[in-house]
Amino acid sequence: MIKRRTTLKLATSALAVPALGITGARAADTVKMIDDVELSGPGVTSGSMWKNGVDMAIKEINAGGGILGRQIEVSHQDNQSQAQIAKAVATKAIDDEPYVILGPIFSGDVNVSSAVAETAETPMFMGGEAANLTQQGKKYLFRSSLSQSAAMPKVANYMQKVGIKSVVIVWISNDFGKGGHDTMLKELNARGIKVLADIPTEPGQMDYTSVVVNAVKAGADAIFSYKNEEESARFLIALRKYGYDKPVIGETVLVSQRVIELAGTAANGARGHVGLTVDAPNPLVLAFGAKFKAIYGYASDHNGIKGYTSIYLIKAVTEKLGKFDRKALAAAIHGGSFSAKQYPGLLLDVAFDAAGDLDRESYLVEVRDGKQVITETLPPLGKV
Amino acid sequence: MTGLGKSLRWPVLILAIIALAVLPTSLKSYGVYILTLWAVYVIAGMGLNLTVGYAGQISLGQAAFLGIGAYTAGLMAKLGFSYLLIVPASASICFLVGLGLGFPALRVQHHYLAFATLGFNMLCFLVFRNEEWLTGGTFGMNDIARPVLFGWHFSRAADFYQLTFGITVVLAVLMALLLRSPWGRAFAALRDNPIRAESVGISTTFYTLMAFAIGAAYAGVAGALFAPLVGFIEPASFTVTNSLAMLLMVIVGGQGRFFGPALGAVIVVLLPEWLRFAADWYLAVFGFMIVVMMVWMPGGLLSLADRWKRP
Repeated sequence: MIKRRTTLKLATSALAVPALGITGARAADTVKMIDDVELSGPGVTSGSMWKNGVDMAIKEINAGGGILGRQIEVSHQDNQSQAQIAKAVATKAIDDEPYVILGPIFSGDVNVSSAVAETAETPMFMGGEAANLTQQGKKYLFRSSLSQSAAMPKVANYMQKVGIKSVVIVWISNDFGKGGHDTMLKELNARGIKVLADIPTEPGQMDYTSVVVNAVKAGADAIFSYKNEEESARFLIALRKYGYDKPVIGETVLVSQRVIELAGTAANGARGHVGLTVDAPNPLVLAFGAKFKAIYGYASDHNGIKGYTSIYLIKAVTEKLGKFDRKALAAAIHGGSFSAKQYPGLLLDVAFDAAGDLDRESYLVEVRDGKQVITETLPPLGKV
Repeated sequence: MTGLGKSLRWPVLILAIIALAVLPTSLKSYGVYILTLWAVYVIAGMGLNLTVGYAGQISLGQAAFLGIGAYTAGLMAKLGFSYLLIVPASASICFLVGLGLGFPALRVQHHYLAFATLGFNMLCFLVFRNEEWLTGGTFGMNDIARPVLFGWHFSRAADFYQLTFGITVVLAVLMALLLRSPWGRAFAALRDNPIRAESVGISTTFYTLMAFAIGAAYAGVAGALFAPLVGFIEPASFTVTNSLAMLLMVIVGGQGRFFGPALGAVIVVLLPEWLRFAADWYLAVFGFMIVVMMVWMPGGLLSLADRWKRP
């Protein structure tokens, strides 16, 4: 009998789940934001940087009086880098009626969460870069960085400019890597740059010896590497051990601060395009980078800047509107241009199109002596 | 069990089912979603409990069957098939694949079998990821619609929960009938002493294969519900890690106990959500609780009752 009682007791706790959806009253002097972010699982590196950027911006804004006099209240909710949990987090967020949802970063998580946000007409500021995310006609989804379809042409142009005629692509087999790979392949073909080897690698891969051997054996003018942070660092280390001395080119991640920290001297010589970098020749960005490092003890990568600028974008547009109105916020961002001169927290001038894609200046960089060195500033594409 | 206990068993069970059926009326969307996810995992857990708990096999491939069911459902839904066909198709395909996975179990046992099923899960993951023409590859399959049955749209969260819960109850009844039939006794004999089972005329080959096939079919149905619940499927949802989580559900609830998967799914699916108040520490607290449970209750939560009964 006890067995039944035990079962029922525990089942009753399950029934008492009402806690699952019931929230307390919201204070009128705060504005609620919920961060649906990867704080565990494979997305934790990106998610933690994003969270720190968000926290930093919110602390600054709250210290300065908040948005329209209301303090920002943020709740970071871990989606475990899993789509079904990301949807749970987004659903929970909507039940709490936040002003906006922040995150996620992984494409699968963005896909499910943005569908929930769309139904609830709640703006979502995500860190995803995959091209397809903003091609689904969603009205409440906004990027915080350039999409792959905006960034890859810049990388391909650079390759063409420096006379690269053939390349090996080494990419990571996840949605991020596949999206970048497909977009880059198209851009390379359009410019007549031959792909001599196309090598997919596994997420979490530890040993890149065979990848390096095959990549080098192909005898191309350069390697284009498109992977997540840890994998990029391991690949660079394996390449340097092998003695590879031709150009290694990437987009954002390969030359990011996190990869430089992880790869150490092996990162030296890596080149690429970055949409966001704390080393950008811009006083606002440099000040942000210094402050971030002082607070957290390490340099911010692009995800930290994405989180930070997203909060300031929300503040800027809300204050322009003079009210907290989700629909009006989304409408005002579509087709809007916002200058860093007027809103310094944006760090860089930014413009949005009707799909939620953004445009801003970006950079060509090279890693020298463990530091990102900007070699050229590329203007916005001007498409939005 | 006392006479009073026996007489109360059915009314209490019926009341619990009614309470779970009407629970969404008092929950917000998030609660309904999590409860539906729980029901989906209970179905997959029931299947795994048959394979692991009742038939004594080991499987680290249940997430692969969940994936096969989900992708079958996603593809068929995109092609416009009725949900009345989708569920049996998902179950049948998994049944057949499960039958195939049962063959290694005829030759190897214990951790060797665990690795064989683990390899199967990885193989399925690679198919889901690499066969982009069929599965959408790493980009997954998006916008999987909720089902329509006899003109009724199950698009509302509460409606879809009730459909899922209804299917869970039906499958639980079928499982109970199976376990009370000679098949159930044959599975138990296979688990307890396969040589003796063979000597009394039980075909261990047949029942081993059936344990895998039926367990897989349950995961197939769960997958057919998972796909429209989340609305999006991707290979990352069906990795070995998820198979381990499902095995944890069965073990932490009480393997070989009928209500074990239901309770195990509460621990694995609902507990981390309840622990969110612990902020950054919530997964650490969850992990610690699992360690404590496994150390103190190796027979699962339902084994607590047996401990209390002991003099």
